[in-house]
Formats: sequence, structure tokens, C-alpha cells
Amino acid sequence: MNKAISRVFIIGVVLFMALVINLTWIMAVRANWFSDRPQNKLALAKEMKIERGNILGFDGSTIAGSVSRSGYYYRDYPQGTLAPQLIGYDSLRYGRTGIEAAMNDYLTGQSTNLGVQSWVDKLLGRRPQGASVKLTLVPAVQKAAQKALSGQRGAIIALDPKTGALIAAASAPTYDPANLDDQWARLSADGNAPLLSRSTQGLYVPGSAFKVVTAAGGLDYGKVTPRTPFVDTGTYVVFGGKVTNYGGEVFGPNDFTTALTLSINTTFGKVGNLLQRKRLVATMQRFGFYQTPPLPLPAGEVVPSGRYGAKGILPPDAFMDPLAVAWAAVGQEKLLATPLQMALVAAGVANGGVVMKPYYAQQVIAPSGTVVQRAQPQQWKVAMKPAVAAQLNTMMQRVVTAGTGTSAALQGIQVAGKTGTAEKGDGTNLAWFIAFAPANDPKIAIAVVIEGTQSTGGEAAAPLAAEVIKTALAQTALP
Amino acid sequence: MALSRRNTELLFLVIAGAVSTMAYVSVYAGRYREINRVSLIYGLIFVAIFIVLHLVVRLVLPQADPYLLPVTALLAAVGLTEIFRIKPALALTQGQWLLVGAGLFVLTVLVVRDHMKLDRYRYLIGAVGLTLLVVTIALGTTVNGSKLWIHAFGFSIQPSEFAKLAIVVFLAGYLDDKKVLLSVPTHHVLGVPLPAAKYFGPLLVMWVMSLAMLVFMKDFGMALLFMSIFVGLMYMATSRIVYVALGGGLFAAAAAIAVVIVPHVNERFTVWLNPWPHASTSGYQLLQSLFTIADGGILGAGFGRGYLLYVNHQPVVPELQTDFIFSAIANEMGLVGAVGIILLFLLFTWRGFRIAVWAPDGFSKLLAAGLAMAFGLQTFIILGGVTRLIPLTGITLPFVSYGGSSITANLMLVALLLMVSHRTNVVREGTDLERRRLAERG
Repeated sequence: MNKAISRVFIIGVVLFMALVINLTWIMAVRANWFSDRPQNKLALAKEMKIERGNILGFDGSTIAGSVSRSGYYYRDYPQGTLAPQLIGYDSLRYGRTGIEAAMNDYLTGQSTNLGVQSWVDKLLGRRPQGASVKLTLVPAVQKAAQKALSGQRGAIIALDPKTGALIAAASAPTYDPANLDDQWARLSADGNAPLLSRSTQGLYVPGSAFKVVTAAGGLDYGKVTPRTPFVDTGTYVVFGGKVTNYGGEVFGPNDFTTALTLSINTTFGKVGNLLQRKRLVATMQRFGFYQTPPLPLPAGEVVPSGRYGAKGILPPDAFMDPLAVAWAAVGQEKLLATPLQMALVAAGVANGGVVMKPYYAQQVIAPSGTVVQRAQPQQWKVAMKPAVAAQLNTMMQRVVTAGTGTSAALQGIQVAGKTGTAEKGDGTNLAWFIAFAPANDPKIAIAVVIEGTQSTGGEAAAPLAAEVIKTALAQTALP
Repeated sequence: MALSRRNTELLFLVIAGAVSTMAYVSVYAGRYREINRVSLIYGLIFVAIFIVLHLVVRLVLPQADPYLLPVTALLAAVGLTEIFRIKPALALTQGQWLLVGAGLFVLTVLVVRDHMKLDRYRYLIGAVGLTLLVVTIALGTTVNGSKLWIHAFGFSIQPSEFAKLAIVVFLAGYLDDKKVLLSVPTHHVLGVPLPAAKYFGPLLVMWVMSLAMLVFMKDFGMALLFMSIFVGLMYMATSRIVYVALGGGLFAAAAAIAVVIVPHVNERFTVWLNPWPHASTSGYQLLQSLFTIADGGILGAGFGRGYLLYVNHQPVVPELQTDFIFSAIANEMGLVGAVGIILLFLLFTWRGFRIAVWAPDGFSKLLAAGLAMAFGLQTFIILGGVTRLIPLTGITLPFVSYGGSSITANLMLVALLLMVSHRTNVVREGTDLERRRLAERG
């Protein structure tokens, strides 16, 4: 009898051990997995008990605040719709995106980098208080960019070429984040994708705006100088195909500076083949193409630029024949680029060839008011030699003073830029303008893209860039 | 010098009392942001109840096991603290039930004094147990899909908790009597040696009863508990594994039938297999339980400091204070505390089985082993349920869950185990005087 009793007890011990192992699995091994489940009402409600930190503009004004309603904290937006696609939403029902998601650990006070007070709170079991995040985004400039885009589809993104600080990121059409939950069905079904962050996620054919990259490569590898002569006959025949000019224009003899000023495709096709595939792609990579720009946003909210095939981005060493190289050199072929990447191209030229890491967080401010983290501008890429950047800077000024981009000219401020017009099959154009200003001491680099317009980049995009640049340079403080 | 059994018990009770008072004060401070006399007075009343139980045991059962009562006190304290944490109003009710349970404990010890007496009334006790179950099936009220409750005189009681004790007492006596007959094979079926068919009668009765519990009470946990008690006791009485195989097979068949024909059992089974598609409906409770447990992490937030109530004071898991009390404990005490609680249950179960192994006679052995098994298995069924190791069932966690029947019946279970261990220790190593006194009780 005792033997049987002992056996039954041993079975009991085994069952209890199974409980302990299962519990260890749930509470230690998989604890974070459970906490991240969207079905987990507890985790969401728990975070909503925390006074979420504010998201502030560069001028200190509140973009996203925190209001308490019956014990939970909700977001409110004192300035209305301001860069909602970049800021992201914080919804009990639809989760988080953008900066709300990327900076969540700071905003909910759960980050371990928030100083001694947060550790003391944790030890005492006090509810943490969220830290505020001060952005480099300048509300006045952001508002100017949104106003410039209103009624159109497109994006404007501006940054400081010397630091990489994001000054504005507008995407149109837009939405009101305060009514997200009510409007969700309409917003997520809208074909014009108001929820899409076009400035960092939108992939567009860069068109002639890309010629800045080709020019940088040609000058940097010593294949051309600003004075190198070319003759345009309206077509450049290569590898059984041809490269033609926008609108069928014929320019005759021109030098390389004129070719950029008037955006002559045949010349740039020839420069592309002087460079050849390898060096053209290498130049692109030195501007950041083929890599996701290191702007700290959730996965998928910033996408890489480069040559795209049916299954996404192609590897840099994918085969290209000389015709493909020629068309790629004028920004067509399989090239797709985000407004962010094109703004980084302008910034690289503006900053003497050095592309800075883009960022948006100026400061993280703990609830006690102390600044626990400060932005440290970092170099990302070296795109070209400083001397080449200086040459290209001068060439881009010519575009605005005597070329396709004259409508971006501003009284008393020298703007340097490049237009782009990509024809879509449906008879509409994609209008581009990338620029920086003031040309001799650049404080802002910008990319503007307008979808579905009948006009060219010089007509549809350049004036908007001028408007935003004017507003930005009128500010007393820029990041 | 080694401590006597009763002084050991007192020492551990004092430790348990101190720990419980600290836990209670911690919750009180968390809730009212202050520590005052009221919080200490409740702690003192709790300690006083167990000191009284200790004194009764010291007087009547001086040689009884010294660990059962402190473990009981600690578990009850954790339960009361956590109930107070979730719904303060219920803690007072639960405290009153603890008082009633303590009274029944004293009554059991004083009236029965020696469990051998119970063997004489085994059929009466067995009939009472069976009646309690039949009455529940006939007159019970359905709560959360299971029909385990009877509402009478303004109280809600769960008769199955008491039936469990009665059935163990009956089976211990009956099986101890018939064990020889049950272990001698009279014929073979397919090469398997089997005892005479008439001795299978009780097995079939138990099987029908557990099937009835599945179909009418719609509760998988209670049915599993009763069937396991029966099969386990059959095995321990006869040492014949064939009963385990037969009983296990029969129960599996009954469970399969129930899954098909009883919607509530089917739902619990489906949710157990995969709760995620039912996250906002039938799987909500189980998933919220898992989220609450996982939220505890390694060390937990501390008593009174976990996130257990929404701002509208609704608990994060429905029925948090009863069936899901362990989820709340795991949340606030973390993995370390939760494993500690499991080890306390294991310690209690081990003491029970140890009493059984040491007991000098078959009835005592089967009684102690049956009670220990019922206790351990009930713990496993509910803890396995809330952690998704096995399908979830509406069974209480002994001493910890909110519920008068549970705490009262389980305190009586402690009284019975203490009686068996007292008799064992007196018979084995007691003085002549103690043996004479014991003989006078019978």
C-alpha cells in the first residue's frame, strides 16, 4: 500500500513541476511577448494610466499633449493637424505609429535612461510619469509646408543640412489625429492614403532632380568639369535605344553647367555612360540610396530608395545595360526615391559633400524638467569632395537664376536647386524640386514633390519650396 | 534541544502571522496611503483565530503534524489579503467565513476526536456525500456556465466541496474492507486478470456519477476531481494498475462525450486548444488571466501595487477574486512568489501523503492519502486551468479563493489530517498514557 501511495505522490510532484515550468515560461521567458499582444487590454490600459509625455515643437509649443478623462490619459492636439503622419497616433484601438511608437518608452516613462528618479519610482512601485520629447520640427515651417500642399497630393520635407535635424515633414492629403478612432474606416479605405507618411514612405520616380546625383558622380570621378562641352541633337542613341529631352526640345552645343541649368537629358545620359553602372551606383550609395535612412521610426515607416523591381528594391550590383544606365542617369528607368532621400541629396551638396544623419528628437525632458538626452548630430555619408560640392552648389544656383527653377528665386536670398518632371503614363506629371538656401551658408535643405499635376517641377513644386524656405529663414531659431 | 511538535507549530504560526500582517499592511497602505490601527487590528484578529486553533490542537491532538496549520494560515492570509486588494467589501465576508470554518474545525476535532470512529458511519457518510451531489444537480443554480451552487437561507454554498470530504471518508473505509477481494483476479478478459464483476459495481457508480457531473453540473474540473479520487484510492488500496487504466479510459470516454454534447464543456475545451480567435468572447477570461500573470514578471509589483483593477474598479480578469485569485497573486508577487505559493501547496500535499505512509492501519492510510490527493489535485486543476496547462474549470483554490464553502470544507480537511497524524504518532511513539487516552476515545 505504501508503495502505491508514494507513486501517487510522485505523480503529484510531477504535475506540480509542470505548473512551475509552465509558469516560468509565461512569466519569465514569454512575458514580453504576452505584453505586446494587441489583445492585451491590461497592458494598454496600464500605459493609459501613465501621464504620457508631451511631444513638443522646436519652439517649445505642444504638438501632442496629454489630457486626463476618468482616470485614463488621452492625447490632445492643441495645434490641430500638425505632421500627423510623422508624429503618428496613439490609439487604444489601433495601436501606435510614428514618433508615438518610436519614442514610446520615453513618453511612458519606462525607459531606463530617464535618470535616478525613474529608478526610485520603479523601486517604490510608483506609477512612472512620461518624459516629454522636444522635436527639431519647427511648427511655423511645418504649417507653411502644409499650407503650400493644401488641396494637392504630395510631400514636403525640410532639414538642416549641417546637422540633419528635421525641420518639417508634410504629407498631403492629411487627417486630424484627434478624430482618428471615429474616422478610421474612411481614412484607411481612402485611395489617396491620408495615413501614409509620403515624405519618408512615398516612393516616386525622381526624374531630373536625380541629375544632381549624376553630376556629383561625374565631377567627383573626374569624368566631367562644369565647363565640359557637349552637343545635343535632341536624341542620344545608345545600345539600340535612345534618350530624348523633355518636350522634344533640341539645345545644340552646351556645357555641363548649362546641361544642369536647362536639364538636358542627352548630356546626362552621356555622363551616365562615362561613369558606367558601377560608379553611378557607387555615387548613389554615397548619398544613402540602397539603405534605409537612419531616421528612428518604426520598421516600414522609412523606406530605402534605389532601383526597384517587381519584388521590391533590387541589389546594387543588379545588371544594367548602357541604355538603362543612360536613363537612370536622368532619374528614370527603375529608379524610385523618397522625398526624404532627395532632401538628403540637396543637403549633401549644401553641406560640402557630407550627408548628416537625419533625426527629429532635439531633447528628451524628464518629468522633473531635466534634459536627459540631447541630439548629437552625426555624419552619415560622404557623397563627394568639398571642392566638387562647391562646384555643384554654383551650378545649382544657376538653375534658379537662369534655368528651369526661376520660380524658386527669393528677394535677397540665393536659392540653389534642381527641378524634376517625371511624366506618368496617364498624362499627368510628377513635379519635383530639391533645393537649399542660402546658397553661401545653407540653413535649410528641402524636397518638394507634387503628384498628378499638369505642370512641370519648375512650375508646380519650385514656388512651394520658395514659400517654405522664406518662412524658415524668417524664423529667429532653427535647429 | 528539539522543539516539541506543538511548539514547532506555534513558531511557524507566529512567522506566518508576521508575514501575513506585513502583506496586509502593505495592501492597506497601497490603498489608503496610510497605516493605522484598523489595518493592524484585522491582522491581529486573523492571528488570534489561528492561535485558538493551535490551542485546541495542543489540547486534543498534541502529537499531530506541526506544519499543516501554519501552511493553512499562510495560504489563507495570502488569499484574504488579495481579496481585500481586489474587493475590500468581500474580505470582511471572507473573514467571517474563515471564522465559521475555524468553528467547524474546532467542532470536528472536539466531536470526532478520533477519525477511526468515522469508519463506523461510513455508509451514512457516503450517502450524505452522494445526496449533496444529487441535490446540487437537482436544485443547483448555474454560475458562469457551471451548476455548482445552491442558494439557501440567503447563503450560496458549494456542496461539492463538502461532498468531496464525505466521499473520501466513505471510499477509504469501503476500499480498506474490500481491498483483498478487489485485488484477487477471478477471471481473465483478453489476457487481463480481473476481479469478480460484482466488485466493479462501485466503479460504475462513480463513473456514472462523474458523467452526470459533466453533463448536469457542466463542470469538467469537479468530475475529474471525483473520478481521480476514486481511481487513485482504488489503486492505493489494491496496488493494481488495471484500475487506473480502466478508470482513466472510462473518464476519457465520458469527457469526450461531454465535449460533444455539453456546449459549455465544448467551449472551454475549444478555448483551451486555441484561445486567440476568441480573444473578445469565450477566450477573454483565459487570455486576460495569462496577460495578468505574464505582467507579474520575475518579482512582481508587490502586494497592492500590481495593475489589477481598471479605473472603473472592474478587475482585469472577471472572477479575479475566486477562480482566478492565483492570477492576481502571480501578478503582484511575480514568478518567485507564485512558485512559492505552489511550493506551499506541495508542502501541504507532501505532509498529507507522509501522514498516510506512516499511518498504522489501512483506513487511516487511505483516508489521509485520499484527502491529500483531493487537496493536491484540486490545486493542480485550478492552477493548470488559469495558466492554460489544462482546460479551465470553475473550481476554487483551497484556502485562497474567495468562497465560504471552500475555506470551511478545507479547514475540516485539515482537522481530519491532523487527527490521523495524531493517532499515528501516538501509536508509533507515544507514551502509555497517550495510548490509553486514545483507546478511550474509540
